Amino acid sequence: MELTTEQLRAMAGAIGLDIPEADRENVRLRLSTLLSEMEIIERELGREMERTEPVPPVYPHEEF
Amino acid sequence: MTIDRNLAFLSAAEQGRMIRSRKLSPVDLVQSYLDRIGSYDDVLRAYITVCAESALAAARNAEREIAAGNWRGPLHGIPYGVKDQICTRGVRTTLGSKINADYVPDFDATVVAKLERAGAILIGKENLHEFGKGGTNVFPYGQPRNPWNPERTPSSSSSGSGIAPAAGFCSGSLGEDTGGSIRGPAAANGVVGLRPTYGRVSRYGAIMHAWHSDTIGPVTRTVEDNALLLSAIAGYDELDALTSKRAVPDFLSAFTPDLKGLRVATVTEMAWPEGVHAEVRSAFERALRVLKELGAEVGEVSLPWAKHAIPLQMLTSDADSASMYRDLLRTRWNDFDVGTRTRMATALLVPAPVYSRAMRARAVVRRQILNALTHWDALLCPTNLNPPALIADAREQVKSKADVTQRLILRRISTHPFGVANTPALALPMGFTRDGLPLSLQIAGRPFAEETVYRIGHAFERATPWHQRHPDLDHTLAGVRERGTAEA
Repeated sequence: MELTTEQLRAMAGAIGLDIPEADRENVRLRLSTLLSEMEIIERELGREMERTEPVPPVYPHEEF
Repeated sequence: MTIDRNLAFLSAAEQGRMIRSRKLSPVDLVQSYLDRIGSYDDVLRAYITVCAESALAAARNAEREIAAGNWRGPLHGIPYGVKDQICTRGVRTTLGSKINADYVPDFDATVVAKLERAGAILIGKENLHEFGKGGTNVFPYGQPRNPWNPERTPSSSSSGSGIAPAAGFCSGSLGEDTGGSIRGPAAANGVVGLRPTYGRVSRYGAIMHAWHSDTIGPVTRTVEDNALLLSAIAGYDELDALTSKRAVPDFLSAFTPDLKGLRVATVTEMAWPEGVHAEVRSAFERALRVLKELGAEVGEVSLPWAKHAIPLQMLTSDADSASMYRDLLRTRWNDFDVGTRTRMATALLVPAPVYSRAMRARAVVRRQILNALTHWDALLCPTNLNPPALIADAREQVKSKADVTQRLILRRISTHPFGVANTPALALPMGFTRDGLPLSLQIAGRPFAEETVYRIGHAFERATPWHQRHPDLDHTLAGVRERGTAEA
């Protein structure tokens, strides 16, 4: 995933955030990398994720 | 070594025994720490706020109570510091940010109230990465430095909570750990840090916001001290709906001189990944031999999904946390450190479907780790894969996607998986580099099995000399003072 600066600006604008020019590339690189990592995770764990609910990580049962 | 230095580095347990038998005055102990803070903290910057007057008043009160026969327990009269992310009545709580410079809570966090009831004495609020996020570049309250070598990082984000017990500025600290923020500083500063099981300790009154991952835990000079502090702060709290109602065991009674009957496993992907430092590898191999000699069965387990824990934490925990700062990011962008604001803005822009899928993936990764813990009593790896870096090199510069992968993701492989799994994980000293920098062993256990990780850590500590070594600040800080690089 390689976001463009225009895409980033639009995403930020949708939540009322104006990221100054000096920091925009930093945020673009971070978010592009994380979304790329998520694509890898989807490829590797996707089938398991379909069968798993995002239960909060608390331990309601005796065994865990 | 002076008498004061000996006193400062005694374990909290031993100090407590001396206070109870009236061989040590809590007033002298507090004053000893205040003197050391006054002498050295202009360089190390462990504290944002030092509570000198209230600490001395509390020490005098403790002395009177004990003299009158009203001893409250092993922490009575023991001075501690707390990460400045945890609210303290009447004492400002900055979160390491100039945005919060004037915030003075009118209540105590549950952990602070519990320590006060145990008779412990708050000596100060400890420095941290801004808002408890790693990656701060410029610290509004001074650059925290490693007492073993002040050119090196004390790690993040509970930096001051690691520095203070290591430097002899308190008997123990409380830190906060979302992905590794207790264990990293404990490792870098050569002390003992525990991330407790999620739900073991109340989060009420700590300003954190990553509701499914944040934990509060102790940082101390010994495993026994760590167990003493956890005993005081653990337990159900009606003010935190996610604290567990399980009984708090007697952690100290689990200590044994050997580890016979325990099965422990190194995690291949967390112990031996590409890039692990040669001296870390050697120290870890020596640590495994010690554990075998103590009677533990030592094996190895592969957790191939553990590596996903870091991006998954950033896509979820960071997003939850950043959502609470959205309005401040809109209005006070330039008042945040660049490392904080870019990390939070990134998290704010994570699309909802990605967040939801990442929460599912977290549960998958967590299940793999918990499955391993049904076969093994504990999982092992080095806490940090490298010795503490130079401060300039540790900063999170982002100039390419490779920077993000290397500086923000891969370096966290040894700590974040246990944050995602929300299991207890203990960091403790396992040696030093040839240059005298601390190295650390990490022991993670089953949920609510803190007594097991303490048992292993305590036996290891008894069998090794590392916890007896303390930085000689007159020596280690001399270079910085001569070069005049300490901040005003």
